[in-house]
Amino acid sequence: MVVDNELVRHMADPHNYGNLEEPDAVGIGENPENGEKVIIYLKVAEEGEAPRIETIRFQAIACMTTVVAGSIITHEAENVDFETAEELIAVTLGMLENYPPEQAACSEMVAVALKAAMDNYRLKKENPELPAVVYKIEQSCAPEPVPNPLENPKES
Amino acid sequence: MKSLLIKTHEAWLATLMAALMSRTTENKRVLTEFSDILWRHFTWIENDLIRRGVEYDYDRDNIPIKVERLSILLTDIVRRMNEIELLLVRCEDEALKNRIRTDLEYMRYALGRLEDETIHAFDMNRRYRDIELDEEATGALTLFLFEESYKEYELIMIYNYLKAHSDDAFLNRIFQILIDESFFHLRSFGEMMAEMGILGVPRVIHQSLYKVSDVERFLLDGIDEEIAAKEQCRELSDAVASKSEELAKFFDFINYQENYHIELMREAVAHYRAKRSDG
Repeated sequence: MVVDNELVRHMADPHNYGNLEEPDAVGIGENPENGEKVIIYLKVAEEGEAPRIETIRFQAIACMTTVVAGSIITHEAENVDFETAEELIAVTLGMLENYPPEQAACSEMVAVALKAAMDNYRLKKENPELPAVVYKIEQSCAPEPVPNPLENPKES
Repeated sequence: MKSLLIKTHEAWLATLMAALMSRTTENKRVLTEFSDILWRHFTWIENDLIRRGVEYDYDRDNIPIKVERLSILLTDIVRRMNEIELLLVRCEDEALKNRIRTDLEYMRYALGRLEDETIHAFDMNRRYRDIELDEEATGALTLFLFEESYKEYELIMIYNYLKAHSDDAFLNRIFQILIDESFFHLRSFGEMMAEMGILGVPRVIHQSLYKVSDVERFLLDGIDEEIAAKEQCRELSDAVASKSEELAKFFDFINYQENYHIELMREAVAHYRAKRSDG
């Protein structure tokens, strides 16, 4: 990964980082292999038939590459309608096919979290008490496991 | 009182960042001392919340620190201290309230007397001292500093939360050592980031990271993370070794410190297991 000034700006001060008080929808993208996750919070405005993302925030329990992906993708998703956001997700996931899995997983986690948040918004219309929607990613970024001598200790 | 905890958390971090970005010895000394005092206030307020059974978390606002002159940030820190003072009316512990109030009074006075200085901590020069690193090594160092400065802040907050909710002297001794060690690492990495013009405030940590239900599992995962961090330090040391003996030795030094953390965490796991089998 090329660490240029633009990347440093995203790392030092990521766009939209944090949570939202009383969000309209919450979605989680999760890596089942290592427990890393991205949580996306939305405030949504209804204008005619198309809901629009009014405010978006994210939190990442993940590596810095995921934070950068969250900063970029949530910045693009600000103030767009759901249709445009779906296109953004599709473009992002399409682009990831050209990346090594360990790099693709970080962006995929953000994209599926956004998808989960929008689905959460739609489903809450039927069931307002619905908790956050969680989608798991397909790519793998789990490092090779390091043996921990305290787990399954050998019999002496 | 929850607002008091949040505002003190924010003031502590703002003051710590000011200390990291300062290049004047006296300013740095004063700001470091004051950030330590604000951290202690934070832990005392937290203890008061726990004693009174109040639910709380470590959520906070983002903290803007990008300034060209130190005086701008100092003015902001004084404003934060004024806010804290107003919130003190909600503190029922008179001794704690008086202690914080008198500390704030002196700190605002002393901050007003610090010499102003130009800040270089955000100029993205991406150079550490006069060490010549190629683009790849500079990139690796930059990524490492961002990852690890956040990680150290995360560890400070997690171990502090565990310590605040534990009355086990054996474990609390271990937690305190790990907190102190992470403070040292956070400061060391922060100093490097400031010099390289890439200083940033660690991001807010998610509640699920410190509101841990299975501490033993958390410690076992933590041991894996420490082993991975050691490997990163070793790789970074190798990457910069041909360019800078000083940097290579520094990352080896950090790497070897992790060995002791791992041993302490193993002791803590063994202690948990012994307690569980006893009871």
